[in-house]
Amino acid sequence: MSNAYLTYAAKRLGQAVVVILLAYVFTFVVVSILPGDPITSVLRNPQNGFREEEIAEIIAAQGLDKPIIVQLWHSLSGFLTGDLGISMRSNRPVSTLIAEVLPSTLILASAGLAVALVLAMLVAYGTRFVPKRYGQGLLRGFPSLFLSVPNFVIGLVLIHLFGFQLGLFRVINPDSFWATLFAAIALGIPISAQIAEVLIANLDKEAEQEYATVARSRGLGQARLFVSHLLKPASLPVVTVIALMIGELLGGSLITETVFGRTGIGSLVQRSVSTQDLPVLQAIVSLGAVIFVLVNLVADLLYPLLDPRVKILGGRKRQPTTADETSIGPTRVVMP
Amino acid sequence: MTFVANSTLSRGSRSGWAEALRMPPIVALSFLITATIIAWSIAPQLFTTYSPVVGVPADKLLGPSAAHWFGTDHLGRDLYARVVYGTASSVSSALVAVVIGVLAGGLIGLLAGFLGGWVDVVLARLVDVLLSIPKFLLAVIVVTAIGFETINAAIATGVSAVAIFARVTRAEVIKTRQATFVEAAFLSGGSRWYILWRHILPNASRSVLPLAVLQFGESILVIASLAFLGYGDPPPASDWGLLISIGKDYLKWPWLVYAPAFITIVTVLSVNRISRWLRKTD
Repeated sequence: MSNAYLTYAAKRLGQAVVVILLAYVFTFVVVSILPGDPITSVLRNPQNGFREEEIAEIIAAQGLDKPIIVQLWHSLSGFLTGDLGISMRSNRPVSTLIAEVLPSTLILASAGLAVALVLAMLVAYGTRFVPKRYGQGLLRGFPSLFLSVPNFVIGLVLIHLFGFQLGLFRVINPDSFWATLFAAIALGIPISAQIAEVLIANLDKEAEQEYATVARSRGLGQARLFVSHLLKPASLPVVTVIALMIGELLGGSLITETVFGRTGIGSLVQRSVSTQDLPVLQAIVSLGAVIFVLVNLVADLLYPLLDPRVKILGGRKRQPTTADETSIGPTRVVMP
Repeated sequence: MTFVANSTLSRGSRSGWAEALRMPPIVALSFLITATIIAWSIAPQLFTTYSPVVGVPADKLLGPSAAHWFGTDHLGRDLYARVVYGTASSVSSALVAVVIGVLAGGLIGLLAGFLGGWVDVVLARLVDVLLSIPKFLLAVIVVTAIGFETINAAIATGVSAVAIFARVTRAEVIKTRQATFVEAAFLSGGSRWYILWRHILPNASRSVLPLAVLQFGESILVIASLAFLGYGDPPPASDWGLLISIGKDYLKWPWLVYAPAFITIVTVLSVNRISRWLRKTD
């Protein structure tokens, strides 16, 4: 724990807090420019059947009659103290609504991440062992194929093949083991692509390093070289990539949940979008940002500890780890 | 003197073009597929004689055949015609998304990288904020804010792509700014904005092109996802995502999902392959 590391950690932490606050404000601005004000579109909508006194009550509770900047201040200070407000539709606290559906989404997202990791490793490590003429090129093409398939298509294909044809699971029971597994596969495949791309690039890079040549000249076989020399340095940057994939995981679960008919954050978003339930949308989007920022903070703080080769330059910038700054892949270019 | 310099210059660039046009067969195929898709979107009526809106109820839910390449849907409409006619909106909206991403992101990156100082700090935070909100969630709330239409889905997708373009442009600008020829331009009295326009922009845009092509493919997917969730134009529009979404209710007739999905995947694959090729030849 050098001094430089602590300075770096403190700066990163401060940065994370600022980004979270700004993300909240940004979301608020986007959500509050919704066409037509929520009073007319939701409360006065005859379909919803609110009575006049109920409308007055909701307006007062949500502070909808106050200037926008006061609303923002009210909402932001509530967010900082853990109060996410009250749903405009169901009159229940937003935090309760989210807490009800969060476990299901967490299960799906972590299962999806596990699938993505396993798949990425199989593909990437496979490129080391499958000889060129037995389809190494094909294996190398997998990531770009996975990246080109929308995950709702994967979901539908899985439902068609394994649900309808083979009868492994039933769509009416979306929380069963098999249904969850296939939902996780649909979610995980596009995400595995980006992890595999980084892994393959790193393995190629490490295999060209001098230490690898030395090890090979000492007579080390492909397998030994891979296990005892290439595996660790090539896999470390994946920590950073996984952190960056958190956003994709959340966004992907939204669609996957719809396809598989699961109840979760995704279905809550869908419902809130169709009923224009602003407090719920605001809370979910900001929570997404909080999770993303925190996971990336942890990854950034852990990384110098995991990989001692990474130097913290003057306590403010770290070396790009996955590729050079100009490449397109999931690269960390830390803006100073 | 000028003449000589010009002739060597043009000859140099011409052989450069010949070099650049030599491509692996897969890339050539990708260009061919992309060209077909663009042709579909410009003149769909040249590629099919069926109507995408009016169907023959007696011919409903037919499997793929010589008469109906992709089969027919539940209203007896030719699916191939629906895919072809849906291309215009699917492809042009992806184009709108990329243009928004390139212009807004490029401007932010250019200013941040070139001006530096507090401008850079402020813009960097803005980009961090845009990156911190999960991309698809960002697209969903933006499209909710401005209304469920395909063009709005395109705008939302573009907004969610701004951050990545800003980052790449900024990194490129900073790299170019430190180059010797830029220093020389400064020393020979070039103004800041002249140098930005004449030297930095062309150099920075070189690595933005492959990213833009890649983003085009991704935008097709994001817009298809938004259409799938019902945030695009309602039927009888036939955006690819919407076709898949309608098809999912008829899984007993799987071509209703597989055919539009296949076209989407092949298009995105080709676009990605072109992007990778552009990056390599750069």
